[in-house]
Amino acid sequence: MRSRHPGYVLAVLSILTVLVVVAEAGAADEKSRLDVVLERGKLIVVTMSTVPPFAFNDEKNQLVGFDVDLVRLLATALFKDPNKVEFVIVTAEGRWPAIESGRADIGVGGTTVYPDRALRVAFTRPFIDSGISVLVSKKSGIKSMQDLNQDRFTIANLNNPQMADRAKRFFPKTKVLTFDTPSAQFLAVRSGRANALQIDTPSADYFAAQSKDEFDVLPGLLGASQNNAIYFKPGDFKWWLWLDTAVAELRSGSWYPQYTEIYQKWFGKNPPPQKFYLQQ
Amino acid sequence: MLQLNWFRTYGATYLDALGWTAVTALAASAGALVWGCALFLLRLTGGRWGARGVDAYVQAFRNTPVLLPIYLIYFGFPLIGLPWPAVVCGGLALVLQNGAYISEILRGSYQAIDRVQFDAAKSIGLGPWHTFRKITLPQVLVYSIPSLGNQVVLLLKDTSLLSAISVTELTMQAKLLTEQTGAAYEAFIVVAALYLVLVSGTEVFFRVAHRTVRWR
Repeated sequence: MRSRHPGYVLAVLSILTVLVVVAEAGAADEKSRLDVVLERGKLIVVTMSTVPPFAFNDEKNQLVGFDVDLVRLLATALFKDPNKVEFVIVTAEGRWPAIESGRADIGVGGTTVYPDRALRVAFTRPFIDSGISVLVSKKSGIKSMQDLNQDRFTIANLNNPQMADRAKRFFPKTKVLTFDTPSAQFLAVRSGRANALQIDTPSADYFAAQSKDEFDVLPGLLGASQNNAIYFKPGDFKWWLWLDTAVAELRSGSWYPQYTEIYQKWFGKNPPPQKFYLQQ
Repeated sequence: MLQLNWFRTYGATYLDALGWTAVTALAASAGALVWGCALFLLRLTGGRWGARGVDAYVQAFRNTPVLLPIYLIYFGFPLIGLPWPAVVCGGLALVLQNGAYISEILRGSYQAIDRVQFDAAKSIGLGPWHTFRKITLPQVLVYSIPSLGNQVVLLLKDTSLLSAISVTELTMQAKLLTEQTGAAYEAFIVVAALYLVLVSGTEVFFRVAHRTVRWR
């Protein structure tokens, strides 16, 4: 090996110094994401592609779903063009680093609001009610949550801690398998590896409707009704205010008709009333 | 920014996962070596059809990503009445693919042996079996050690794919911790470091083995 040249060390040190200074400066006066998005001319959205009817690939391999249409409404508000959206597809655990690293401006896709999740990402107010249901294979003969709570049955979970907690709480005797995608959960039930799986209620209804002779949705929810919302990097007041205002307008304000339209398209019924004191 | 106390809090949760990765890699490597030797022998002694069969097998496994056999075995075997545990199914897929590679490594080493040695063996009256055991096999194994080491390193890293079929090995543990704590960078940095340790250990083992055996 050649002897080390002092100039080389100096160069590396100065590059490192510049990087640190630039990083510090960048952190000091960070622009609001809203301005970044408007300047860029398109919205970058992280989502999963495996959570019908929220976000999934249709038979033409296009990403579609309720959450996708909702994001297109946001793009319409931002750019007067529903197509100014770029989707970044990740798996469940890939959602948080995509937001934290700034790779995406916002995230959607059947994402439930939990207080502990809200410690690492910020949420808008909820844009749709959700819940967790149990989907069982017809072959298993399981008819209720009590039926499922036996050690001869196995339930397929997604790899988030809320799934594990619910399994322990509602069916402590049932064996548990943990997967990293919903499609693997379904394969597990189809192949007989598992007899049941936990999933968002609208997804459960969607799958049960798709293959009536294969799956049943057990009556009742695992725990309470829940909220799904848009998530984004915390600490950006301007961005948060805009997103939250947009969601509020969709759910109960000036854009309620547009919201109703996509709700009808994916769920075949009207969304909850615009305001509880108005006659529907 | 990285949170340093994250490592203190969650470091110990990796131990089980580390064990699963190490044990799976070790067992699958042993299995792949045996299966690779069997394929190599079949190619040598199985005549034209044996060689063709092995060739087709090797092509099939070399030209498909190992995730496919992992999925096929894990989700397919219950359908034919064999609901083996995930780690067994995943390990079997790794054995089947790496066995194909290893049989090719052995074949390469076999072809590196000077043909003159076989004539010499015949001339001192050694039969085919003794020629194989005393002349061929020792040389094939010694020549192969560095390449086998590489293959075991590849296999070790491929165990991360078992995270797709519910095996809680290192990669799955990192995914679980990311979902639980949101600390994606911390979770995966730990895993990267642990893989590095496992791989370096494997490499040192094979280097020492090669040095020890070569000079006999």
